[in-house]
Amino acid sequence: MTEKKNDKLFIIIAGLVIGVIAAALAFAGNPKNMGFCIACFLRDTAGGLGLHKAPPVQYIRPEIIGIVIGAFAAANVKKEFGSKGGSAPMTRFALGFFVMVGCLMFLGCPFRMILRLAGGDLNAVFGLVGFVIGIFCGIFFLKNGYSLKRTYTLSQGEGCWMSMIEVVLLALLLVKPAFIAFSEEGPGSMHAAIALSLGAGLVVGVLAQRTRLCMVGGTRDLVLFKETRLLWGFLAILVAAFITNIVLGGFKLGMAEQPVAHTDGLWNALGMLLVGFACVLLGGCPLRQLVMSGEGNADSAVTVLGLIVGAACCHNFGLASSPEGPTPAGKIAVIIGIVVVLCIGIVNTYVKEKAADTATDAA
Amino acid sequence: MNTYIATFFMHFGSIRYERLCKSKGLEARTMPVPRSLSSSCGTCVRYKADEPLFDPDHDEMEQMVICNEDGSYTQIYLAEGLAK
Repeated sequence: MTEKKNDKLFIIIAGLVIGVIAAALAFAGNPKNMGFCIACFLRDTAGGLGLHKAPPVQYIRPEIIGIVIGAFAAANVKKEFGSKGGSAPMTRFALGFFVMVGCLMFLGCPFRMILRLAGGDLNAVFGLVGFVIGIFCGIFFLKNGYSLKRTYTLSQGEGCWMSMIEVVLLALLLVKPAFIAFSEEGPGSMHAAIALSLGAGLVVGVLAQRTRLCMVGGTRDLVLFKETRLLWGFLAILVAAFITNIVLGGFKLGMAEQPVAHTDGLWNALGMLLVGFACVLLGGCPLRQLVMSGEGNADSAVTVLGLIVGAACCHNFGLASSPEGPTPAGKIAVIIGIVVVLCIGIVNTYVKEKAADTATDAA
Repeated sequence: MNTYIATFFMHFGSIRYERLCKSKGLEARTMPVPRSLSSSCGTCVRYKADEPLFDPDHDEMEQMVICNEDGSYTQIYLAEGLAK
């Protein structure tokens, strides 16, 4: 029981620290209510590398680098680093892709959803409703036998790839070669100093690795096991970011003219429904995927690549929303995403189960 | 009577294993994995039994440990293809 109590206290403290850091980063130069956003920052990084050509959102975000390296370091110190993978990598890639489609419909990942709520952006309430509905959709499949099959131990080098890529990205960010794009206006041009962003990312990476913090895990565990530990982390971030916003004067209650947000409630909800649904089938939110990629999980690294490719496609194909609202193509993409994720759920729950039952019957 | 913890690759492994334990009349509960143990999906089943229970029909179990009185764990099973 003592371990359990300490665990809860630890995740609450970690959540409070992360919440303060995330809210404060927006005052250090990051876009409003975007101290952290895994989806937006992977999208900006994709833009920085020239994978998409949307000028306002191109910047290699040091926060992402920090999270992965921080998780890598923490996992190594605690001897938890392990190269693992082999659990349906392409399915995870596809799920990662559509998580990003949903995030860029809403304009934020689950982490930024909390920060938007903490900043008084009531559009995020619609996102939260959709998110919870999406999680329930995923739980339905979990309860009925959904599985992407087991992971295997891989060679030590395999688990280091994402961390090594982040080191290269850091070098590119610092050296600024001509082929790396940097936004001159828009959200991509708004950023805290590199050292500050990197430091914040490192702290969040270490804390998220130690606590197993996950934005979908909170609701999932509450519904599946009546377990509240992860949810406390979620709530602690919300409370800390809310208080920080009040103190620093960043709280603005309302729906209209919120920073990097639109007011279409239905599509905010549907975007996050897709995110919640796909994340439960993946086993973790985008933040958790980044952290696990640092811990040596190659399946999570493939998921992160799916998120990055998804972000590039969203901007190349005009799927991403803007403060003016969602695009028609984006709406179609979200519907396609929900259908694809539903199919992934069905195939990995019922089709496989039937095959296993047949094998058992034959035996 | 010993206390065991079994961890799983995916959530449904835990759910199915808890059902199996209960069908055998064992006291079992699905819960998050203690942080000192690792698991792919983050869930485990803690149960009480005289002997460890294995499910030969499914390969979802990642590891099984026996809970010692001093709060430590002794690993008694690790899935093939995993290294610690």
